[in-house]
Amino acid sequence: MNNTASLITIFIGMVIINNMVLTKFLGLCPFFGVSKKLANAISMGVAVTLVMLIASIVTSVIYTFILIPFDVEFMNIIIYILVIASLVQIVEIVIRRTNIVLYNALGIYLPLITTNCAVLGITLINATNNYSILQSIVSALGAGIGFTLVLVIMSGIRERLEIAEIPKSMRGLPVAFITAAFLALAFMGFSGLL
Amino acid sequence: MFWTILILTAIGLLCAVLIILAYRFLPKEPQSLKKAEKINENLPGMNCGACGYPGCFAYAQALSNDKKVFFSNTCATVLQDEKMLSGIEEALDIKVDKSSLKKKAVVACSGNCGLIGSYVGVESCKAANKLLGGFKRCPYGCLGLGDCVDVCPSNAIRINIKNRVAVVDPDRCTGCGLCVKECPRNIISLVPAETKVVFLCSYKDIRDIPGREKCESGCIGCRKCYKACPNEAITWNKETAMPEFDLSKCDGCGACIEACPLGKIVRLSDVAKKINE
Repeated sequence: MNNTASLITIFIGMVIINNMVLTKFLGLCPFFGVSKKLANAISMGVAVTLVMLIASIVTSVIYTFILIPFDVEFMNIIIYILVIASLVQIVEIVIRRTNIVLYNALGIYLPLITTNCAVLGITLINATNNYSILQSIVSALGAGIGFTLVLVIMSGIRERLEIAEIPKSMRGLPVAFITAAFLALAFMGFSGLL
Repeated sequence: MFWTILILTAIGLLCAVLIILAYRFLPKEPQSLKKAEKINENLPGMNCGACGYPGCFAYAQALSNDKKVFFSNTCATVLQDEKMLSGIEEALDIKVDKSSLKKKAVVACSGNCGLIGSYVGVESCKAANKLLGGFKRCPYGCLGLGDCVDVCPSNAIRINIKNRVAVVDPDRCTGCGLCVKECPRNIISLVPAETKVVFLCSYKDIRDIPGREKCESGCIGCRKCYKACPNEAITWNKETAMPEFDLSKCDGCGACIEACPLGKIVRLSDVAKKINE
């Protein structure tokens, strides 16, 4: 993608056209694991957005100011993993010490999304597309909001599936996968938007 | 090449230093979590989920809010370990009567009943159970394919291959109850650890005695155990034609064990020997 892509294009692209879950198929574990109740889904979506945002800022700074000048862009994968894991650990310690209400609301999800492929994926996408720091921030925000959007839609559907009459062998995860497939088909309709 | 090593090491060290700084210099933990931390030090940290909470720290938080949670959802591993138990007693300011809380799992089946046919399929009790109710003649018997073995966190269950039955070793069992939930036929149950004798048959149909048709070593309703008990701990259920045990009256004399001609009643401490029979 062109490096001078405007911020709005990037944002809308990440939310619905190149959606992390339904188009790129990243971050499926939290998608299927946490989408049973709406409250949990929103907490998880907010936690993932937060982590993606912070991770994108730090990693794009490292990419621009350390990796490119020293000509070692190929090291971005391992350095991103290191940085993201430490970052999330620090964020968890900060939240635990400062805001106990927030910790009880989403604290249990932070260790779960530490090296989730969606978080690593967004940082690598920023690197591949050569985004500047501002573009990376907007892209991460869009990806997080897109993830939350799909998680909320999925949890709404799954809450209703719980009380529907589904064949015994399909209950739980099988019907969730089929639902996700239909959602992905639906989101394909956005592909020609930009 | 030099730069790659240097940059990787530098960034790694920087991250480590930042984590240590965050740990040391951020404001201390709020009071409510401090208590949970202290309790968490005395928990096993296995995060097995048998207590019903998502992980040991969540259990510690629940305990710090309400002490009674320890009695309603007891952590079986804490009960086994003296050091952890005294730590929890101190942290929660409670007295725990070990004997009343410790439980052991028992598989109420002695196996060796006939088969309807040979089973070819997924090697899981849950799968075999869905196919015509299992491949054994007795509809309540243990299938012996090992779902409980896989789920036991203490490796206390083994399969007796000759009789196709799962046997729980009471010395290793911590009474966590995961196998009870896993068994698709619901024949595993938790008994208090001081139980002296257990009855190894789960037959539930009314007025149809297993020994006659369904199981080579099934209870034949001879009532010898009922007549042999000196403490009236065994009562006879006329509808199911099977004995019922009142464990509070049992003193472990073993009269019923000798009376039963089929060996359906065994001492809890002897159950482990059934693995090799």
